[in-house]
Amino acid sequence: MNVNKPSVSQHDAHRRQAYDEPLWWGLFSAGGVCFAVIMPAVILFIAVLLPLGLLPAEALSYERASGLLFSIPGLLFIGAAVCLPLFHAAHRLRHGLFDLSLGNDTLNKKVMYGLAALLSLLALGMVVAGMLN
Amino acid sequence: MDKSTLQRLPPLKRTWWLKHRFFKLYMVREATVLPLVFFILCLLAGMISLLQGPDSWQGWVAFMGAPIVLLLNLLALIASLFHAATFFVLFPRVMPLRIAGRSLPDQAIVAGQWAGVLVVALLFLWLFGRA
Repeated sequence: MNVNKPSVSQHDAHRRQAYDEPLWWGLFSAGGVCFAVIMPAVILFIAVLLPLGLLPAEALSYERASGLLFSIPGLLFIGAAVCLPLFHAAHRLRHGLFDLSLGNDTLNKKVMYGLAALLSLLALGMVVAGMLN
Repeated sequence: MDKSTLQRLPPLKRTWWLKHRFFKLYMVREATVLPLVFFILCLLAGMISLLQGPDSWQGWVAFMGAPIVLLLNLLALIASLFHAATFFVLFPRVMPLRIAGRSLPDQAIVAGQWAGVLVVALLFLWLFGRA
């Protein structure tokens, strides 16, 4: 009995751990699609062409940028360009750490998905705050 | 294979992936998210500056133009394209498409996804290409 008990509870723990994997994998896949299809354009325009001054002067002025971001389409944009890619990155980093035998997976998992969720809420919260201003 | 099974096998050395080109490529693909995370953090900083006001926003645009920031974001752009190239070829393997009983060639599915990248880029050009 005593020998069996730990192994039974361990088995249950593994079952519980595997139960939430489809959620993380779904977010990872959706984020992967966003990373591949939208991020090249997002990075090219916002992080390369804008700072190099290659966009028309008013294209992303303060007024234009606020108007575009603090709206319902802006909220959807943040979901696709920040939240889902964050969960994609969290999944890859978690498994990368496992591949390199760094830390332990139970903790890595909580830290990675926790940070992705926290930053996602922050980003969506900022859009809502901007809409209410 | 789930992680509980792996833990019962003899542990791998941390450098296992350096032994074969295929594994190195796999690790490079895993690492594409590092510059992506950098870009997303930049984007979050930009959102904060946009909430703070016009001066702060101009400061953020200047920050994005700093050579090291620009370089890391160029790396993120390359990483996104590399990720796309490796990701698009998986689609026809995971979900082969059939139209009217004929299976769509793999190249057509891959080309269709690149067309998607182009459409998004054109949408951005339409949004930001004019004042």
